[in-house]
Amino acid sequence: MSEIDRREFLKIVGVGAGAAAAAGCYRYSELPEKLIPYVIQDEEIIPGLPVIYASTCQECSAGCGVHVRTRESRPIKLEGNPQHPINRGSLCARGQAGIGRTYHPDRYVGPLQRGSDGAFAKTTWDDAQHTVAARIAAAQGKVAVLGAPTGPALSRLIDAWLAAVGGGSRVVYEPFAREALREATSAVFGVASEPIFDLEGCDLVIDFGADSVGGSGRSPVEHARQLMAARDVAKEEGRASRLVYVGPRLDETASVADEWLPAKPGSEGVLALAVARVAFETRSKGAPGSEASLQGVLAGFSPESAAERTGVSADAIRRLGRAVAAAKKAVALPPGVALTSRRAVATNAAVLVLDVVAGAVGTSLHIPPATETRVASFRDAVKLIDAMKSGDVKVLLVHGGANPVHTLPPDSGFTAALEKVGTVVSFASLPDETSERAHFVLPDHTPLESWGDAAPRPGVRSLVQPTIRPLFDTQALGDSLLGIARAMGDGVAGSLPAGSFRGVVESAWSGTSLRAALERGGEFGEGSYASPSLSASLARIEWREPQLEGEGEFVLLPVPSPLLGDGSGAHLPWLQETPDPITKITWQSWAEISERAAASLGVRPGDVLKVETPFGSLEVPVWPRGGIRDDVIAVAIGQGHTVGRYAAVQTPDGSSAPRGVNVISVLPSLTDEAGGRAWLAAKARVRAAGRFERLPFTQETDDKRGRMLGEAISLVALAEGGPSPWAPNQAAAVVDHGTPITGAAAAATPLGEVAPGEHAGEGDKHHEPEILRAYDAVADSLPTDPFRWGMTIDVDRCTGCSACVVACSIENNVPIVGETQVKRARIMSWLRIERYVGTGEPTLQPARPGPQNHEELGKTDVRNSPMLCQHCGAAPCEPVCPVLATYHSPSGLNGMIYNRCIGTRYCSNNCPYKVRRFNWYDYQIETWPQPQPLMLNPDVTVRAQGVMEKCTFCIQRIQAGRLLAKTEGNATPADGAVKTACQQTCPTGAIHFGNLKDEKSEVREAAAQGAGRAYHALHDLNTRPAITYLARVRREGEDHSA
Amino acid sequence: MTPPPAEPVAALIRPPPVARDSQVNRDLLRVMDGVSVGYFGVLALALGFMFAAGGVWIYQVYKGLGIAGYAHPIFWGSYIVTFVFWVGIAHAGTLISAILYLFRAKWRNAINRSAEAMTVFAVLTAAQFLGIHVGRIWKSYFILPYPNQRALWVNFKSPLLWDTFAITTYATISIVFFYVGLIPDLAIARDRSTGWRRALYTVLSLGWEGTSRQWKSHNRTVLHLSGLATPLVLSVHSVVSWDFAMSIVPTWHATIFAPYFVAGAIFSGFAMVLTMMIPVRRIYGLEHIITDYHFENMSRFLLLTSLIVGYAYCAEYFIAWYSGVEAEQTSFWSRAFGPYWISTWVMISCNAIFPQILWFKKARTHVPTLFVLSVLINIGMWFERYVIIIGGLSREYDPAVWGTYTPQWTELIIVAGSFGFFCQFFLMFLKVFPVVAIAEVKEIEIHARAHGEGH
Repeated sequence: MSEIDRREFLKIVGVGAGAAAAAGCYRYSELPEKLIPYVIQDEEIIPGLPVIYASTCQECSAGCGVHVRTRESRPIKLEGNPQHPINRGSLCARGQAGIGRTYHPDRYVGPLQRGSDGAFAKTTWDDAQHTVAARIAAAQGKVAVLGAPTGPALSRLIDAWLAAVGGGSRVVYEPFAREALREATSAVFGVASEPIFDLEGCDLVIDFGADSVGGSGRSPVEHARQLMAARDVAKEEGRASRLVYVGPRLDETASVADEWLPAKPGSEGVLALAVARVAFETRSKGAPGSEASLQGVLAGFSPESAAERTGVSADAIRRLGRAVAAAKKAVALPPGVALTSRRAVATNAAVLVLDVVAGAVGTSLHIPPATETRVASFRDAVKLIDAMKSGDVKVLLVHGGANPVHTLPPDSGFTAALEKVGTVVSFASLPDETSERAHFVLPDHTPLESWGDAAPRPGVRSLVQPTIRPLFDTQALGDSLLGIARAMGDGVAGSLPAGSFRGVVESAWSGTSLRAALERGGEFGEGSYASPSLSASLARIEWREPQLEGEGEFVLLPVPSPLLGDGSGAHLPWLQETPDPITKITWQSWAEISERAAASLGVRPGDVLKVETPFGSLEVPVWPRGGIRDDVIAVAIGQGHTVGRYAAVQTPDGSSAPRGVNVISVLPSLTDEAGGRAWLAAKARVRAAGRFERLPFTQETDDKRGRMLGEAISLVALAEGGPSPWAPNQAAAVVDHGTPITGAAAAATPLGEVAPGEHAGEGDKHHEPEILRAYDAVADSLPTDPFRWGMTIDVDRCTGCSACVVACSIENNVPIVGETQVKRARIMSWLRIERYVGTGEPTLQPARPGPQNHEELGKTDVRNSPMLCQHCGAAPCEPVCPVLATYHSPSGLNGMIYNRCIGTRYCSNNCPYKVRRFNWYDYQIETWPQPQPLMLNPDVTVRAQGVMEKCTFCIQRIQAGRLLAKTEGNATPADGAVKTACQQTCPTGAIHFGNLKDEKSEVREAAAQGAGRAYHALHDLNTRPAITYLARVRREGEDHSA
Repeated sequence: MTPPPAEPVAALIRPPPVARDSQVNRDLLRVMDGVSVGYFGVLALALGFMFAAGGVWIYQVYKGLGIAGYAHPIFWGSYIVTFVFWVGIAHAGTLISAILYLFRAKWRNAINRSAEAMTVFAVLTAAQFLGIHVGRIWKSYFILPYPNQRALWVNFKSPLLWDTFAITTYATISIVFFYVGLIPDLAIARDRSTGWRRALYTVLSLGWEGTSRQWKSHNRTVLHLSGLATPLVLSVHSVVSWDFAMSIVPTWHATIFAPYFVAGAIFSGFAMVLTMMIPVRRIYGLEHIITDYHFENMSRFLLLTSLIVGYAYCAEYFIAWYSGVEAEQTSFWSRAFGPYWISTWVMISCNAIFPQILWFKKARTHVPTLFVLSVLINIGMWFERYVIIIGGLSREYDPAVWGTYTPQWTELIIVAGSFGFFCQFFLMFLKVFPVVAIAEVKEIEIHARAHGEGH
C-alpha cells in the first residue's frame, strides 16, 4: 500500500494551470440534456478510463489524503492517497461518503438574500457582495467570523481580510476541539500543542476512552492501521502486543481490545495515575533516578484507593502497571469527546503523566512545537455569544460548515443571540440550522470543487484541488471574501491579494513545485518535534474527579457518532444508512443503558425513555446492552437535525421534523478548568415514557449460536501451531463449539491445496462425508482460465468501522432506501459487518422477540465479521435460478446478470449467507434525486426494479485490470493491481483480494500466514466459498466485571 | 341392495338409492336454469374481490414488489403460500376423477364433475401467483425454453423450472379430463336447451349422440386419461414440494416433503370440495344425488390424509432432533415457539387435531360439522404453507440476518382476490355446465337397477 503502483501512477494526472480553466464556462444546471461526443478529444480524458486527482479529505480535521477518481470529468469515488503519510491509501466511512456533498440534492444553487417577507430570494453574486460589503462597512469593525478550522492558506486570508475590513473577532469553532489535551500538554510539558500519537510497533496501548480506532477517534484511519499492524499475529511482536481500553462503554476500540476496564466515567485520570504509580515503582526498582516531581504527583494514588474511586480492581491496576513497566513501547491515549469532563485537563494530564512513566514521550507520543493555535476555546465562543447578545456584533459570517445552532447547547443562548445580529452571512454549501437563520447565503464550493490546503501535523502539508467544474452558481469562500473586500473599495482590497483564492493557495505553496505537489497530494516530510521535559506547572493540577450537574441516577455520556461525527455527516445518506458499528442502528437516535438498568426501568429495546437533565429533557428509544456500565446512559451526538433532506425527517406535508434527538440540547454549556467545552457534565434522570418506537436496526441478535461465523481462537492455541481447528479435514476435531483442539496429528494443509491423502488414501477416506475433506478452491474455476478470484478477510483486524460498507455502496451504485425501508429489512448494502459477541450457545430458548444482546461488562469477545457474497465454488444460488441469471463464471466468480433476472428470488432463499438484495422498488428513480445521478459509477449497471443484486467482487475493477494488463502486453494483471473497493479503503488491511491460482498472490499469502486460524463461513454446508476468514485472536486477558 | 361383486372398492361402499333418470336429468340441469339475486350477489362479491386484487396487482407492477410485506431474508411470502395452497386444492379433482376411477369407486360419480372443475380453476388460480410473485412479470417469459437468437436457455436444474412444467402439464391434463368427461352431459344439455346455450353446447358436445360406439371410445379415453393423470396427482405436488426440498434452507431440505405435500394437497383438496359442495347441494336441492354417503366417504379421506399430515408434522420434529443439526433444530423450535407460533398452532390444530372427530360416524354424517371442519382445514392448510415458507426463511444459517415478515394489506387483497377469482369461475361453471356428471350418475342408477333388488 505504501507505494503507488505504475498503473495508478499513469492515471494520476496533475492539474496543470490550464486544465481547469480551459473547459468552458457552463454550469451543471445549464447543461443541455444531450450526450455529445468530444469534437476535439481532450488530451487527458479518455472515455472509459478514470482520471485521478490527489486532494485532501475535508470531512474531519485528521487531514487524510484522497485520490479523487473522476470519469469523464465527474468525480465518482474517493479513495485514500497511498502516498499520504496519515492514511496511506485508506479512508474511513465518513471520508468515503464525503463525495456525496458535491452531488447533494439540497445544495444551495446560488447566492440568496432574505427578502422583506422573511423568505430567501435569489440574488446575484455582485449584488450580494455589494450589499454585504455595505453592511460590513457600516458595522465599523463590529464584525465576527465564526467557522470551522480551515487550511492555513484560507485561515491566513480570513485573518488578513478581517484586518482589512476594519477588524473584528474570529472564532474558529470546532465542537470536538481538544482544548483540554492542549492545555494538559501545556501543564505537563510546558508546550501548548496537541500531541501526536504514533501507535506503530507499540506492544501496549492503553486507550482511556479515546475510541482511537473508532470513527470518533482523533485520527481513526491512521491509528487503526498502526494499531492493527502492531498487533499482527503473524509476527512474534504482534502476538505480544496488547490493547487495553478504559471507558464506561464497549465501543469500537473496546470491542477489539484485549482487556476492557469499565472505570467510572470521569475517574480515568485517577486510574491513569494509579497505573503510572505501579509502573513507576516497578520500573524504578530496576532503574533508579526517577523524577521527584512525578513521585509527588503519584504519591496519592495507591492501587487500592484508585480501585475504590474508579471501580476497577486493585489487582487489575497493579497488573496493568506492571505491564506498562515491562512494555517495550507503551502508549496511553487521552480521552475523547465523551469523557471530556469539567476536569478534562486533569484527566488528560494524568494520561500524559502515564505516558511519561511509560517512556512514550519521543517514541510513540510526539509533541509538535507550540504554534499560534487557531482553534478557539469554548470560552471564546461564549464570549462571542455575549458580544452578539449585547449588540457588539453587527455582521456575523459563518463558514466552513460550522453549525453552532445545532452543536451549541441551548443554554449558551446562541440561537437567541443570532437574532440580535443585524446581518448574518452564511457560506454554507448545504442548508443547515444555522444557514437557514442567515440573512445572506453565499454558498461555498464543496471540497471537490475548491482549492485549499491543510497542515495536519508538522512536516505534512496537503493540497486540496478542484476536480470538477462547480455544479452550481457557487463561489469559493476565499473568493467571496475577496469579492466583498473589492466591493468595499480599493482601500480595503488593496491590502489583500489580487486575483482569486486559487492564487492565494498557489502563493502559499510558492516555495515548492506545485505541480509535483499536486500530483503527490502535498508535501510529506518528517516533522520536527519538541523534546520537552516535565513542567513545573504539573504540580498545580488538582487531581479530582469531576462533579456532574443534576441529581439523576445516570451519568449522561454524549458519544460522538462514529459515522455522523458532530452531526455534519447526518446530511449524507450513506452515513445515515450505514449501521452503527456497535448497535447496528441506522437513521435514528437511541439511548444505550445496561440491561440491568433496563430491567429495573421495565423497558425493552425500542421503548422510549424520557431523559431529563437540569438543562432540558428529551425522549429517545432505548437500546439495552450488556456492554455498558449500569450507571451510564449513552446517547450519540449527531442526529436531531431539523433541516436537510436526509438529516431531518421529511413529512408528507412537506415540512421537516427532527430525525432522532440532539443530545446537545440537554447538555450544559460548562467548561473544563481551562475553558474548553465539557461534554461529560450532566447526570440524567431516566424513566420510561410509555411509548414504543421501532428502531431501524439491521441485526437483531449478536448470538452466533456456535455456528461457523465470526470465529475466535485463543492465542495459546494459535501459538501451539498446527492446522486451523476449522480446516476442512479438521472439522471432526472441533468440539465444544469453537474451542479448538490443537496439536492434532494431522499435517497442516496449506489452504487451497489438496489435503494429503485425499487422493492417495481415497480407498479408506471415501466413507467420510465430503465436507470433512479439504477442498481445492482453485478447482472451482475453469482449468483453462487464468483466474480464480478469492478473498482473505482477517476478522482479527476488523474494527467494524464500516468504511468498506460505504466504499462498496458508492463504488457499486448501491441505492439508499431510507429509514422506513430499513425497518422493513430492505437495506441494500452488498457488504455488511456482522457483529457477534462470544461463541454463543446453540441452546433452544423460549422465544424472546426483539433484539438480543450478549455483551458483558468487562468482556471484549466481539467478532466483527464482514459478510459479502462468498463467491462459492458450489454456490447454492446458482442451480435454483430458472433462467440462469446467476451463474458461475470461468474465473470462479458467482455472476449475476441483471438483464436476465426475472425476480423469482429463489437464489436469495437458497443463499446461506443471505448476501443477496432485491430491488423492491425502482430505486433508480426513488433514491437518486438530481444531481446525485452524476456520481453514479458508469462502469456499474444501475439495477432495475424487480431484479436481484449482490456483491460482484467489483467485477468492473477486475475487468479494467485485465484489459489494462492486456494493453500493456501482460497476460494477467500483476498481483495487487486489482483491488476491490472494500479492500482498497480498509484502514487495517483486513481484506486481501487476488487470484487464488497465483501461488504467490497476496490473498494466498495472507491465508497461508493465517493458516492456523483460517475458516470458511458455514463450512459444513460445503458451499466451497472463495473467501477465507481468519479468526479473531483472543489474547489472554482477564475479565474485569465491575 | 347388495354391492356389485366385481368391484372391490365399491364393494366397501353401499351405493345410494338414485332417482330415476329423467328426474336426474331434470334436477341436475335445473341448476343451470335461471339466476337468483343471491347468485348475483355472490358473483358480484367474487368479482369485486377479483378486480380489487387486479387493481392492487397493477399498482404492484407499477410500483414494485416493495408494496408487499417482504423483509430480508424472507423473499417468498403470501404469494407463494397461496400458490402452493391453490396447487394443493387442485389435487382433489384429479384424484377423484382419475385414481378413484381406476379403483372403480363408483361413489365418486356424484362429486367428480365439481371436483374436476375445481381442479381446473384452482390450477388457473395458482398459476396467477407465479406471475404475481416474480419481480419482473414483463420478463417472465424468460422461464420458457423458447428458441431465440441469443441462444439463451433455461436452467433445467432449477426446481422452479420443473414447477413451471409441472403446473402447465397438470393444467393441460386437467382441462382435457374435465372436458372429455363433460361431452355426454353437454349433449344432454344441448338436447334440452335453446338459444345461445344450444349453439354453445352443440359446438362443445362434438356431435355426441350417445351411441354405444361413442360410449366405448369415451370410456376408453377416460380410462387412458386416468392412467395419464394418476401419476400427475402425485408428481405435481411433489415437484412443488421440491421448490422447497431441493434448497438448503433448514426445515425445507427434507426428503419427507414430497409425500407430505401430496397428502396435504389431497387433504386440502377434499376439504375444498366439501366447502364448495355442501352449500351447492343445499341451495340447489341435490341431497338425493350428492348424499351424506358421499360426504362420509370424503370424510374418511380427510381423516386418512389428516393422519398422514399429522405424522409428517411429528416426523419433521423428530428428524430435527434426531439429526443433531443445530440450525434445523433452532428453526423448528422457532416455528413452534418463535414469532410464528400462532400460525404453527393454527396449522396443527386445524390439520391434525380437529379432523380427529371424524373417527366418529356422527361427525362424518353431520353436514354442518363437516362444513365447519372443511373450512378450518382450508385455513389450516394455508397456514401450513405459511409456516413452512415464512418460518423456514426467517431462521436460517446466519443469525445476524434472521428476520420477520408481516403480510401487508396489499398482498392480503391479492390473496383474497384469488378466492374471488376461483369462486367466479365456479359460479359461472354452475350456470354453464352440469354440476354433477349426469351420465355417470345415471350409470350408477342403471347399474343399481340391473343388479339391485326391490325394483
